[in-house]
Amino acid sequence: MNRENVKRRKHGQKLQISIIAFMGLFSAVMMYPFIWMLLTSFKSNAEIRTNRTRFFPEVWTLKGYETALEKAPLGQWFLNSLFVTVFVTVIVILTSTLIGYVFAKYRFRAKKLLFVVLLASMMVPGQVTMIPRYLIIQKMHLFDTIWALIIPGLLSPFTIYLAMQFISDIPDSLCEAAKIDGAGPLRIYWSIILPNVKPLIGSIGIFTAMMHWNDYLNPLLMLNDKSRMTLPLGLVIFESQRSSDLSATMAAAAMMMVPMIIIFLLFQKQFTQGMTLSSGMK
Amino acid sequence: MKNNKFVAAVLLPSFLFLFIFVIFPVIYGLGISLYDYNPANSKNVFLGAENYVRLLQDATFWKAVKNTFFFCVVAVVLNIAITLFLAELISHIRSGKIRVLFRAVLFIPCIAPMIGTSMIWKYGIVGTDGGLLNQILIFLGKGPKNWYLTEMPLMWIIIIYTLWADIGYNVILFTAGLSNIPKAFEEAAAIDGAGPLRRFFLVKLPLLGRTFAFVSIMTMANYFQMFAQFRVLAPKGGMHDSAMVLTNYIYRTSFQSFDMGYGAAIATGLFIIVFIVAMIQNQLMRVEWSYE
Repeated sequence: MNRENVKRRKHGQKLQISIIAFMGLFSAVMMYPFIWMLLTSFKSNAEIRTNRTRFFPEVWTLKGYETALEKAPLGQWFLNSLFVTVFVTVIVILTSTLIGYVFAKYRFRAKKLLFVVLLASMMVPGQVTMIPRYLIIQKMHLFDTIWALIIPGLLSPFTIYLAMQFISDIPDSLCEAAKIDGAGPLRIYWSIILPNVKPLIGSIGIFTAMMHWNDYLNPLLMLNDKSRMTLPLGLVIFESQRSSDLSATMAAAAMMMVPMIIIFLLFQKQFTQGMTLSSGMK
Repeated sequence: MKNNKFVAAVLLPSFLFLFIFVIFPVIYGLGISLYDYNPANSKNVFLGAENYVRLLQDATFWKAVKNTFFFCVVAVVLNIAITLFLAELISHIRSGKIRVLFRAVLFIPCIAPMIGTSMIWKYGIVGTDGGLLNQILIFLGKGPKNWYLTEMPLMWIIIIYTLWADIGYNVILFTAGLSNIPKAFEEAAAIDGAGPLRRFFLVKLPLLGRTFAFVSIMTMANYFQMFAQFRVLAPKGGMHDSAMVLTNYIYRTSFQSFDMGYGAAIATGLFIIVFIVAMIQNQLMRVEWSYE
């Protein structure tokens, strides 16, 4: 009996080590493109051209970073990206929870119909409507302004639906009690609904922020002027104008990605929870 | 509760907004597809169904439909197989810290914008001169290859890139799903003599029902819309349109040739396809039961 236990534990340990070894190797392979980006960004273009196969830089240089900072308005693009992302995310959190609250807690006529409309609009892929959206933005005189990225994003059927599901779980009696105590609908929303769905808020926030921070299609359609671009579009423009300058392109890419990766690693627990919640699994 | 004034104050502007930016564009798009539409024209000619007739005869369109399907089906199936495998492996790791570490590392490519990471792949992996793939070929004693001039290999490279960039999400969702399954089920099966493979396929996988349905529907919907990596790795659709997908074809037709009427017709085609696929998935994935 005892011997068997020891044997089983030994077998378990071997299994643990092999799983961890496999996953470690797999993770290293996954990280290769990022490591290549960083190492290339520290090489000079002359070295990249003459010695293609060398992995580490022969001479470490910051020239790529200097060129990128000098030639690309990275700071401006960063501020644009930040402004769009923060603005949209805050508003989407408010609109999603408010509309979700109305659907979850109020009785009204045509509720079923409106809900079907909401579900149907969730199914319309953005790629299908890119031409009409572009024309609508032009007619609204928002073309080539930062608002062309912000205004169409202020309401999102998917996050409304998500919010509705979470808010339905809050007991009706809580809202009723507050109502009897004289709280108006907005007061109930602010002091009862919102404090009770904090994980939902985090989840909507992460989902929305990542979508807008990384968006490429909408800026590509809606922006023209270099100074109004966001980081993803800016990087593409920078690369297309300096395609022979791989060192600076990779430096720009690194400056764009590394801070976000660090932020993710610092808050990865909240990130993971947020992602899990947004799949509707509690 | 009832409060019609409040409900109206919230829902009227909201649905007006949905109408302007989601519902009206669908109708507007259908309308544009009936014209020879170019925003620079002073007058756009009404064509009736002509754009659709052209669509049905357009070899590039059908190639793009085929490629979009091929990409989605292969990438989604591989994505789910790989992420389930990785999630199952990770869930067997006893140390919580190491578990968290691997999950985080696999998620890092998801944090970076696809447009940026596909650019890294463009030069660092696929690049003709010094890319990893060609370095491996040279190491194996073969000559380097210009991958951008290949047909199937380029499509496969884009699929592998997409998996690399995107598996982190589903690994997180599946590890969460697996950890929600009560241990008792697996233990009972183990006592009955089921090995790890049978325990996974016959006990855990069926209990993963809801997560599985959510993940496959979302991944499929997502992959139908993939755009950035195709713009970077096959901007013109690749050799003989072998990596042309519908999103890129719509973009090129509407915003590079400015043939928006025809672009809108292609978009309608994409919409119909997405709709049919969603319907089929809904039928296949009716998971009513759960272990709760």
